Parts: sequence; C-alpha cells; structure tokens
Amino acid sequence: MIRLENVSKMYGTEIPAVRDASFDVPKGEFVFLVGQSGSGKSTLLRLINRQERPERGNVWVAGRNINEMANSQIPYLRRSMGNVFQDYKLLTNKTVFENVAFALEVIGKPKHVIGQQVPQVLDLVGLSGKEDRFPHQLSGGEQQRVSIARAFVNRPLILLADEPTGNLDPATGEGIMGLLDAINRTGTTIVMATHDHRVVNAMRRRVIQLDRGVIVRDQERGVYE
Amino acid sequence: MMQRLSYALRETIASFRRNVTLSVAAVITSAVSLLLVGTTFLIQRAFDNLLVQWRGDVGMIVFVRPDVTPEALAFIKQNLESQPNVIDVKKLEYLDKAQSYAEAQRVFAGDPTTLSLLSVDTIPSQFKVVPTTTDPELVRSLANQYRTLPGVAGVSLAEDEFDVISTLSGFVRTVTIGMSLVLLAVAVILIWNTIRTAIFARRREIEVMKLVGATDWFIRVPFILEGLIQGLAGAIVSCGGLWALNRAWTSGVAGFKAGTGVSSLVVPGSYVNGIMIALLVIGAVAGGVGSGVASSKFLDV
Repeated sequence: MIRLENVSKMYGTEIPAVRDASFDVPKGEFVFLVGQSGSGKSTLLRLINRQERPERGNVWVAGRNINEMANSQIPYLRRSMGNVFQDYKLLTNKTVFENVAFALEVIGKPKHVIGQQVPQVLDLVGLSGKEDRFPHQLSGGEQQRVSIARAFVNRPLILLADEPTGNLDPATGEGIMGLLDAINRTGTTIVMATHDHRVVNAMRRRVIQLDRGVIVRDQERGVYE
Repeated sequence: MMQRLSYALRETIASFRRNVTLSVAAVITSAVSLLLVGTTFLIQRAFDNLLVQWRGDVGMIVFVRPDVTPEALAFIKQNLESQPNVIDVKKLEYLDKAQSYAEAQRVFAGDPTTLSLLSVDTIPSQFKVVPTTTDPELVRSLANQYRTLPGVAGVSLAEDEFDVISTLSGFVRTVTIGMSLVLLAVAVILIWNTIRTAIFARRREIEVMKLVGATDWFIRVPFILEGLIQGLAGAIVSCGGLWALNRAWTSGVAGFKAGTGVSSLVVPGSYVNGIMIALLVIGAVAGGVGSGVASSKFLDV
C-alpha cells in the first residue's frame, strides 16, 4: 500500500531530515513510527501525503509513484488518505457535524451522502448526540475523535496519524488507540508517528524507529524500547 | 454542480462580511478609478464632437450655399485645385449635403434648437481643405479670396476655431488617462490585498481543505469570485456616478448661448451606455485579475 525506496529529504542544505529510508507497508497493516522529536517521523508522514517531495528516492502509494504525479492529481491522492494531528486542526467556527461534513463537502459529495455518512462515522467514534457542539465545548479526547471522524468519513485506504495522543492523558489516549485499532480492523492501513511508549508497548504492532533521519529498527510486533 | 456553486457563493458572501472595511475600501477605490476612466472617455468624445469637422489636419472649410448651381460648385472646386503649392490637393475632400448633415448631428449634439433648424436640403455642403503651408497669413489671404467666389456661404479657419481647444483637449486627455491608469492600478492592488487578507484569515480552513483533497480550483473560486464582485460593485457605483455627471453636464451646457461651440461638448446617451458597459467589463476583469493573482500566489501547498 505504501512503499518508500531510498528516500532522502533535506530541509535547506543542512543534515537531512530523512536519509535513505526504505520500507514497505502492506494493505491493512498498523505501523508505528517512533523516535525522538526531530528524528524525521513527521517528515515521513508528510512525504507520504505529498506535502513534501523527497530530494532522492521514490514514494509509492496504492501502486502509484506519487513523486511523478501531476500537481492536479494530488487532491485525488489525498482523498484516499485521512490525516490526524496532535493539535486536531478542527475549524473552531464549525460544529462537530459541520467539521466532519466539511471534508465531504469540499470534495463535492452530494448532500444526501453527507447526511448519511456523517452520523454513521460520528456514531463509530462515539460522538452521537454531540453533533451540534463546537470544538471548544469538547474535551481534548472528544476533539481528537472528531478529527478521526473527519479523517475516516470518506473511508480512506490509509490513515496517517501524527502524535494523535500527544496532547491527551493516558486513559484518554488509550480510548483513541482503541478507536484507531477498530478502524485498522476495517482494513484501513494506519501509519502513526508517536513518542508515546505506553501506547506502542500496549499495541504490539510493527515498529519503525528513526534516529536523526535514519531508520535504525524495523520490527514486527515491536515495543518502544 | 449546483452544490458547488452554492458553496462558492456562500463562502464569497461570508468572506466579504468578515472583511467589510477592506472590501468597502476596494470597492470605493475601483469606483473612483473607473469613474475617472469613464469621464476620460466622455471628455474625449465631447472634444471629438467639437473637433470632428476639423479631423485630419483640415485647416480651412469652405462652406457652399445649399442652392449653389453645379457650375459655381465646379468653379469653386477648380479654384481650390489650382493652388497645389498652398493646398494639399490630394486631401481635398468634398462633403455633400447628406454627409454634412450627418456631421452636424455630432457638432450640434447638445443644441437641439439649431439642429431642428437644419435639414438635408438647407444645410451648406463643404470643402475640407488641408493647407500645405504653415504660414497662417497665407492661409488667411486664401480664405479671403474664396469668400468672394460665387456660391460660397463662408470660410472657417481652424486657427480661429479650435487651436486652443485642440491643445486643451490633448492636455486633458493626457492628465485624465494618466490619473485613471494609476487609480486603476491602485484598485487592483487593493483588491489583491483584500484577497490576500481573506486567504490569511482562512488559512486553517484552506489547510484542512487541501488535506482532505479539495482541488485547487475549488479552493480558489470563492476568492476569485470575491475580487470579481468587488470590481464589479465598484463599476456599478462608477456607472451611477457617470450617469449623474453626464446628466448634470448636459443640462448645464443647455444654459449656454447657442452657437458658442460649447454645445458640441455634449455626449448623447447611447454613447454613455457604451462607456458604462465598458466600465463594468473593466471592473470585473480588474477584480478578477487582482484576486486571481493573489489566490494563485498565496494558495500554494
């Protein structure tokens, strides 16, 4: 589903953010990217959704080399991916329902589809009954659930999560991990960057560890260390 | 499709509201600049009316009585053509009664009383004479000579009638065109800046839109539409201003004595309508260009 071939990414002319990274994520897998802040986890995610382009190497998503894709094709690539962030990136002037509906609206989904899919996904993430709340009226965990609902409402093939539990207390984080696990079991490939060793150790999934831009470990059913 | 259209319109209106001050400033600036552009057209046309009979270096007009005999007319023509060292014979032009009447429609545009006294039958026909000499005394003596010919109703010299106006017209044209171009540029920049601000205000939303796979055009269209509407709104205001201005001018000119020439400075309604349409187009294009440039410049991933 995702394949990186000898990918290097520099910011400026200094030390590369990612150096010669190669890995292959089959469909339906759950992968943790671990490592300290600045080790290149977020850059890898940004290379996969093509917010960044590598200086060297190729990134393949769903069988297509996304570095050779025309710019006009990028929106359609992104429709096959969901993104979840540490800071949720919710729109504060929109309700829970509107935030999730927004993702479908801007890709031109008709109203009746929105009316059907949004309540479904809100139910899945456990936010039924809170459709009309605004983000500031929700707890951090609930806001992250809205963000996951928004990422998943279009049933993407891939979900990219950048420190989704970073702002949450352990118990709430556990709830979020349960949700991501449930989404993974529907066949969605998940790549999650984190430095939260508790969730990594609890889940026992594939772990790719980065150190200053270099992959130093790629382990099935790994732990954080 | 309808849904996308309604989305674009909703976003446009919302953005306009968020940015009332800047939007109003952009609209007013484009209105003022377009009003000036329109006024330039009007002034130009008014002077053109005044000068239409002298177009093409005509320095002297020999008016021929409407009841002239063919022999007398031929004699005048022959007389004019016999002076190739003073008159550019190739450019010598004869306007018959019908052509002269058509020209009078413009010359006396603001003077319906005079116009109503004229008819194709009673109007003098005319020879347009282009002198080759720059010596005014020579031309003047020539004119005096022609006044005595049988069948000639009168001779007018450009020197007497329009040299001042011509110079004035050129000056006014340069100044107004220059000013309106500068103001138009200011309007485009203001619209550009308004759109940039609007984009900045919505950067989070735009980031999310890009991540969930909205196309660039989908994101851009509301902004371009916003700039286009600002330009168009300015143009509509300027059209109102131009209409009022022309109305006031026309009724003001009617107060002048007939025959002073000022009455030619009136521009008829049909031409004003043409200018207004041009202003609407210029306004929309300027707004669209300003916002289009801003949105492609500031919406890059």
